This record gives sequence, structure tokens and C-alpha cells, in this order.
Amino acid sequence: MASILKSFLDWLRSLFFKVFLTELELTLVGLQNSGKTTLVNVIASGQFSEDMIPTVGFNMRKVTKGNVTMKLWDIGGQPRFRSMWERYCRGVNAIVFVIDSADHEKLEAARTELRSLLEKPQLANIPVLVLGNKNDLDGALPVERIIEEMNLKSINNREVSCYSISAKNQVNIDITLQWLIRKGKGSK
Amino acid sequence: MNMLKKDEDSGDLGVFYHIDKSTVLQEARVFNESPIVPRKCRLLLTKIIYLLYLGEPMATNEATELFFSVTKLFQSKDIALRQMVYLVIKELSTIAEDVIMVTSSLMKDMQPKSEVIYRANAIRALCKIIDATMLPSVERFLKAAIVDKTPSISSAAMVSSYHLFPAGKDVIKRWANEVHEAINSKPTSLVGTASSYLSFTSSGSSYNTPSTSNISQYHALGLLYMIRQHDRMAVTKLIQQLAGSSRGNFGSSSGTLRNPFAYCLLIRYAAKTLDEDPNLRQQMFELLEGWLRHKSDIVNFEAAKAICNIKDVTSKELYPAVNVLQLFLSSPKSTLRFAAIRTLNKLAMSHPTAVQPCNLDMENLITDQNRSTGNEASVDRLMKQITGFMSEISDEFKVIVVDAIRSLCLKFPTKQVVMLSFLSGVLRDEGGYEFKRAVVEAIFDLVKFIPESKEAALAHLCEFIEDCEFTKLSVRVLHLLGVEGPKTATPTKFIRYIYNRVILENSIVRAAAVSALAKFGVSAEDSEVRKSIKVLLTRCLDDNDDEVRDRATLYLKLMDDEESAEKYVKDDSTYSLAALERQLVQYVSNQDASEKPFDLSAVPKITKAQAEAENLKSRSFDLVSTQTIGISSSAVASSSAATISTSRDATPTPGIDQQVVYAHQLEKISEIAAFGSLFKSSVKPVELTESETEYAVSCVKHLFDEHIVFQFIVVNTLNDQLLENVTIVMQAESDDGSLVEEFVIPAPKLPYDQPGSIYVAFKRTNPEDYPLCSFSNTLKFLVKDCDPSTGEADAEGYEDEYLVEDIEIVTGDYILPTYINDFQSTWDNMGEEGQVIETFALTAAKSLKAACTTLIDLLGMGPVENSGTPTSPSLHTLMLSGTFLSDIKVLAKSRMTYSPSSGVTMELSVRSSSEEISRIVIGAVV
Repeated sequence: MASILKSFLDWLRSLFFKVFLTELELTLVGLQNSGKTTLVNVIASGQFSEDMIPTVGFNMRKVTKGNVTMKLWDIGGQPRFRSMWERYCRGVNAIVFVIDSADHEKLEAARTELRSLLEKPQLANIPVLVLGNKNDLDGALPVERIIEEMNLKSINNREVSCYSISAKNQVNIDITLQWLIRKGKGSK
Repeated sequence: MNMLKKDEDSGDLGVFYHIDKSTVLQEARVFNESPIVPRKCRLLLTKIIYLLYLGEPMATNEATELFFSVTKLFQSKDIALRQMVYLVIKELSTIAEDVIMVTSSLMKDMQPKSEVIYRANAIRALCKIIDATMLPSVERFLKAAIVDKTPSISSAAMVSSYHLFPAGKDVIKRWANEVHEAINSKPTSLVGTASSYLSFTSSGSSYNTPSTSNISQYHALGLLYMIRQHDRMAVTKLIQQLAGSSRGNFGSSSGTLRNPFAYCLLIRYAAKTLDEDPNLRQQMFELLEGWLRHKSDIVNFEAAKAICNIKDVTSKELYPAVNVLQLFLSSPKSTLRFAAIRTLNKLAMSHPTAVQPCNLDMENLITDQNRSTGNEASVDRLMKQITGFMSEISDEFKVIVVDAIRSLCLKFPTKQVVMLSFLSGVLRDEGGYEFKRAVVEAIFDLVKFIPESKEAALAHLCEFIEDCEFTKLSVRVLHLLGVEGPKTATPTKFIRYIYNRVILENSIVRAAAVSALAKFGVSAEDSEVRKSIKVLLTRCLDDNDDEVRDRATLYLKLMDDEESAEKYVKDDSTYSLAALERQLVQYVSNQDASEKPFDLSAVPKITKAQAEAENLKSRSFDLVSTQTIGISSSAVASSSAATISTSRDATPTPGIDQQVVYAHQLEKISEIAAFGSLFKSSVKPVELTESETEYAVSCVKHLFDEHIVFQFIVVNTLNDQLLENVTIVMQAESDDGSLVEEFVIPAPKLPYDQPGSIYVAFKRTNPEDYPLCSFSNTLKFLVKDCDPSTGEADAEGYEDEYLVEDIEIVTGDYILPTYINDFQSTWDNMGEEGQVIETFALTAAKSLKAACTTLIDLLGMGPVENSGTPTSPSLHTLMLSGTFLSDIKVLAKSRMTYSPSSGVTMELSVRSSSEEISRIVIGAVV
């Protein structure tokens, strides 16, 4: 299984070679325990770890995939850091909003936080990618439900996409990356 | 960082001039740009730190904004940049908000897989930004870091824990085992593992500088003690354990502790334990004693110091410690010598005998290159030393040394012999005028203040003038010889020197020599001496210079005429120079006055002693400042030389000069100038308001021949008011027409805190009548409110009044204190015609001294022949002299007795040319 995945990622990497050398700046936000840091780790090194500690503040990772260099700002999701999301979202190529698609109770809070973040004038027009993480768990919402619950259809002043992914099983990571890289190309 | 240093070295320091906070904050936007230019950012960070270190205030929002910009720099992997980021974070951690934001990033940097140089610095930065609530989440990492094999990381973790301890006691207490392990850790193989905290390199490849200091043991011990300090048993155990493991084999490195600072800490803890727990005293003392033989100086010293500081230390216990300190005294390291002498100094206060064996060594220290000690005993050696280098230094410097010696002489009079021979020695050396002048002045001071040195000093001066190229100095020395010589035991021996001058020198010196000779002639008891002086002076009559001949003739005459000799040669009064100058200027500038001869008697006389006192007052400034030089060496001297020059400018204003100042002020006002010359101004302004009131008013009384002028000095202490057209309404208490108000000169404007004067002039209607009167005074003015900051006043104001206290004219105001040198003969000459005698009982006076002061105050007269200060507590005669308003000489004599039961009883007799005046004067007391 692992070897197959590895070859798949290699294929992805080769795919990136064909793209022009691009630099991409992304900010990952979302409620705590939604899997942001885990996702960054998976993107950066392909490694998944169950044992994570809450991010106090932010982590900065630079990931180079072929011709693309991604700067990933992974911001803590605890309430005390939410007011600072905006600072790190300014001027990035895309905002990645990660939600725990299996934690139904927090969806409401996630929706409010996303809404208030996107209201910031400084962040106007920055594309948003909503990722429903943990779709490997039972009771995880399918992508349509997420779009519905998060009221994404009402966002009409920017590009919004939504994928259901699993960082653990590396499901839909490839299309996520493709989407992100397109943002890089589009802006340059 | 290396690159940065290069920048500075290559003259790029210019970027740190004219750094402006707002510009730097503007520039800080580059942190948000992409990609990052490490070099540029680093320079900017340096500027930020520079500003912060300069104390530039930074608002919270500015700091926060900056902080978040800086966090963006975590994307760069440039080592030097990252280190600067850590530093800036540490600095901003106290001002910016939400600094917790970098926690995760820092924690990532301190992970074992991170670069070593990151790790230690990240730990230190981390402890600055986290609080107690965060501590549990970083506990795991810090614990691991404490036992890290790399000393810099271990140290960083422990120092950080030390600082966090007050906030997170409970958490950190759990780390005791790790800390203990850190103490006991063996030195690791040094290759490639250790790196000191601040070894910046830009390449990133060679930052591993080996550290052999084992400093982490010191940090570990400090932290461990902090954790266990309240557990006495544990502390004792700790000490025993750490000390015991190395006991018996001092000098080898096999003990647990290898860091001397750690030992010092241990010694302090041991000393504290010893102090607190008498049961452990013996044991702890043995440990301390053992450490006296440790191979490291600092440990020896710390142990010795600890022993010296034991509260009830016995001399037997002190002995080994003092021994060690004694060895230190002769150490080639000046820090050791200093440390030892300090400790011994302290010890000497409590246990002088214990320190005695070191005396010799301490004395050697006085000749130490590093001069900062000294006492009387050291003066001799010090003088020798100074003599040694005297010839090698410049004149300017010599002057400083001589000044220092002078103050030294005055401080240690018993050493005058050494000093004097030193001074006379340097006097013979080559040197310019300034230098010689300094030496001569120093000797003058010796003569003046140290009577024992007089003869020898004068002899040296005689020798000096034998071969003196400076006329000015010769004249001064001759004058001094003339004054002091006759009082010595053998005046004759000076005469030869002086006469030599008459033969050998130029006319100015010859004239001075003649005067000096004459003083001998007049004062000498021995008729033989007088005769030879006469012969000498007669010879001078043939001199080819007029001045010399004139003086010789004058003095020859004087010697035959005792009485005028008394008057002219021995007179010890002099004119107040300031007053004399003023009156002469007035005389020369006034056309009418020049028709009459200049009236010298109007010039107040003061004693020479008074004049000297005035002189001394101004000099005392530099004496005081030179005294600080004391024995300390020349290096100090140069700095205090600077203070001398400044303090000289600030000569105090003596009382008589104050009068001159007033006179100048008054002359400028034409109305007042018309009153003629000022007779007297009251010495001190009388305060008519309490201090701290809205308007501070004081008054000075100026007496003219027929007029009295009140000068009211008003200060407006309200910063929100501007006073305009300020005037005074004076209401005489008993209006008998003896005083008529002539005019008032108001102060046009009184801004805040700027004194202004209002003058009110009265005329005495009857010149023979000297009215005494009290006035009530009301200040009238127009108030305008004004802006305290700009001082801009409103256009409209309102009238207001302000009542101040009364002012009085008393008899004393009409009398000017004067000085006469022969009270008794003047008294006798005046006769009894104008005499008035009355007896008073001053029950309120507590002593004769108080009575004298009161009397002098009341009469406004000056005490004569030092009678102002009673010598006996029960019986005294006070003699006073003064001039009444229209130049009438007044003398007063008061015989007073004092007994505790009845107070002071006195009989006051006043004599003057008119009984009327005498009566007025005596009326002052009633």
C-alpha cells in the first residue's frame, strides 16, 4: 500500500516539473483539532502522525515540489489565535480553511469563523479552499453536505472550492495540491 | 552576525546615525515581502534592537505590528537572520501583544532535530514569551533540553527555567532530577557537540566551538538550589554531596563540580547553611576551610570571604582565611589584590587584630600601580613616588599634583615636614610660572594653616627668591616675609635674604623688599635689629628708582614715629575692595564730585581677616574639590582639575558686594539716582509672604540721605496667570507726616516665575528726624489668565489685591556697620559728651552669644576686635562700630553678664558726636 502511494506521489512530483518555477504562499486556518498541522506534514513529507500537540501560534513550512515552492503558514486554531488569522492571510495566494467533517457540533462555529474571516476587507478576492478533513472517520459529512452546512454557496465575491479529504489516508490530497498550484500559476 | 560585524567595521556604522523609529517601522514592511533578503532584514532588525536599547519608547500597537512582521521571517532558514529574530522577539516580548504566537515556531526550533545553534537560542526566546499556563505544554521539551548533551542547550534550558521559576514553581519543581543529572553529567567529548550560546557564524558549518568551562554546572546548581531552597535538609544534602565527592582530592578534576563559579555558589549556600543552622556549623566550616585550598583563585577567595563574614567567627577560624587573603595581596593579578584588600578592609572593622599580619603586605599595596587606597601612613611613600615621576610630567600636570599635595598637607598636618621638603624640592626644579605659582601658593597655605611649618616654609621661600625669575612671585614672597617674618623667633635671618633682593633685583622687587624690611623694622622688639634695619633702609635712599627711594624715606620716618607706624604699617584693616571700586568709579564719573577730594571714609572698612575670609570662601571651592584627589593618583587628579575650573567661576556673592549690586540696579532708575548715593541696603530681603503662596513678595530697604526706597521683589508663582501693572499700596501705621511718599514705580508685567521689582520711595520731611515706622502693604494688580503652556494671555483681565505682611523701618536701617581697628582710642577720643548709657535685662536671651547676635541685629552695627563671639559664658564686652545715616560715627560698648536664672543683663553705652543720635541708637534696643 505504502509503495503504491509513494509511486503515486512521485508521479505527482513529476507532474509539477512540467509547471513553471512558481512560488506559492498559503495560509491554513480552521478550528483547533481539524488537522491543519497534520495536513501540512503530509504535504511536506508524506508522513501522517496521530500524536500531535495543539499548535501554539503558528508553524511555518516551506515545501518544494518540483518547480513549486509552497510557503505554508499553519496557524493555531484555538480561540485565542483566531483573531490573528487575518494577519497571516494578507496577501497570500489562497486561504485553506480546514474543518473536521466528522465533528458536527463544531460546524456551526467553523461557519461563523469563516464568515468573519472573509469579511475582512484586507482579504478581499483571495481564493478560499474549504477542506473537509477526516473523511475516513464514520459519520464524516460528504462534500455536498459540507458545502451546504458551511453555506459556501452564499460566498460570491471570490473563488470558493470545497473538497472532502483524508490526510490520514491521503485521499484527495492530489487534487487539493493541483487546485492550490493552479492558484499560484493564475496569479503569476 | 559576522557579516554584520563586517558591515560595522567597514565604516557602515553610518546607518546607525540618525535612525528614526518611524522610518524603521516603515522599512519593517520588507519583512512581509517575498522572497526575503536576509541581509537587508538583518540590518533592519539590528536597527530595531539599537533603537530599543537606546530606550526609544514603542507603543504597544507599534510593537505588535512589528512583532507580527518579524514572525514572517521564520520562513527564512538563514542562521544569522534567525538569531536576530530571536533577539528581537526577546526584546519585543514585553511590549508587544500576542507574542505567544511564536511559541510553536520556537518549539519547533528547539527540537533535537533542529540545528544546535537554533535550539539554545530558541529555548531562551521561548522562556521570554510563555507564561505559567503554557509551561506544562513545553515541559517535555525543556526537561529533555536540560539533560541535553550539548552544554549550551542544557544551560539555556536551565537558565530559562531559573527565570520561569517564580511563575511556574510547581511545574519546574518536578524537574529536579533532570537538573541533578545535569550537574553530574560528565564532560562529553568536546568534539563537535558543545557550542557556546553566542557563537555566531554565517556559514552554519563551523559553529561548534568547544566549551570547556562547564558553566552549565553553575546554572544547574543555581536552579537546583532555587528548587530546593526551602527544604533545608535537601540543601544540606546537596552541599554535602557535591562537596563530599571532591573532598580530599582538591587539585584534581575528578570531583563532580568542575566549574569554579559553581563552587562559588556552593560556598555561598554552605555559608548560608552555616549561618542558619548552628548544628552544622562545624561541618560547614570544615568544608569552607577545605575550599581555601582549591586550585582556583576565585573559589579560594569566595571561601575566605565566606569565613570572614561568619557572624561569630573566632580568630582561630579566621587565621587560614586571612592567610589566603594575604597571599592574594602579593598576587600579580590586580583584581585579586583588590578583592583581598576589600575583604580585609571590611574584616578590619570587626577584627582588627586578625588583619594585623597583613599590614606589611597592605603597605606594599600602597605603592601599587593600581592606586586606589591610602591613609596617613602612606603619605611618605607616596611622596617619594611622586618625586620620582615629577620630572617626567608636563607643567600642567605638575600643577595638578601640587594642588593635590596642598590639600593633602591640610588634611594631614603632621606630615608637613615631608610635604614641605617635597614642595621646596619641586620649587627648585625647572618649571613655568603657573607651576611655580602653584607651589608657592601651596607653601603660603602651609604657612597660614599649619603654624609649626612656618619657619621652615619661610626659609624655603627665602631660598626660592634667591633665584627666582618671576618678579610677581618674588614680590608676593617678600610681602609674606614682611608679614610673617617679624613674628618668628629669629627674624634676623630673613633680613639678610630680603636685603639681598635690594641689591640684586629689579626695581619692583627692590621696592617690595624695602616694604618688607620696614615691617621688620617697625615690629622688631630688639633695638639692635631696628638699628640695622635703619642702616639698610638708609642705603636704599641712594637707589636709582623713585619708588624704592620714596618707600625707604617713608619707612625711615615711620620708624621714628611709633604712632603713625601703628597706623600705616601695622593696620590690619582694609577697604572693602568692591565698595571702594564702586565709589571710585562714581567719583571719577561725577563732575561735581571731582571738585572735592575723594572721601575715603565713606568706604566701608573690613578687617584683613574678613577680606581673607572672603577670599578663602571662593578658594574653599577648589580646596574641597582638590581634597577629593586626596592620595589617589594622578589619573583622578585630572578629572577633578576640571571641577576646580568650573567652581572657580561660581564665586559666592559676599554681603558687601550685594550692596554694590543693589547700587547698580538703583542707579539705572533715574528717579532714584536723583536721591544721591546709596547709604545702605538692608542685607537680606525680608520675606513678606509665606513660601508656597500665589505670589512671593520680599522687600529690601534702601537708605539714601533723605529718602528711603522700598524695593519689593515679587514672583508670580501661578503659571496660568499674567500680572500687569503690579503696584504696592503702603500705608504707614502712624501717619505723623515725617515720611512722605514720593512715587511708586510699578512693575509693568509679571509673567510666571520671573521676579519683578516695584519701588516705593519716601522722603524724610525733617532731615534731623529719623522716623521709625511700620507699613502695611497691599499688592494691587491686573490679572490676566493665560495658557500655562504657551504663556499667551487673555486680552481681558480683572483687578485684584493681595495683602502681604508689614514692613518696618528700624533704627538699624539707619546705621551702616563699619570696622575700625583701634576701638579703644576712638572711643576715648569721642569723649563722654555724646554718650548715653542704659541698662537692660534681656531675660529672653539664652546665652551671651544670642544676646550679641540680637544686639548686632538691632543696632545694625559691626562688632569690632572679634567681640561678636563671646569667649566666656558669663561675662563679655561687645564693642560695636557703625556709621549713622549722615556720616556720623557711632560706637557702642555693651558690658553683659549672663546667669541661667536671670538671663542676660547688659549695660549699653553709645557714643557719637551728638547725644541726639546716641539716644536714637540706644532707642533701638528699647
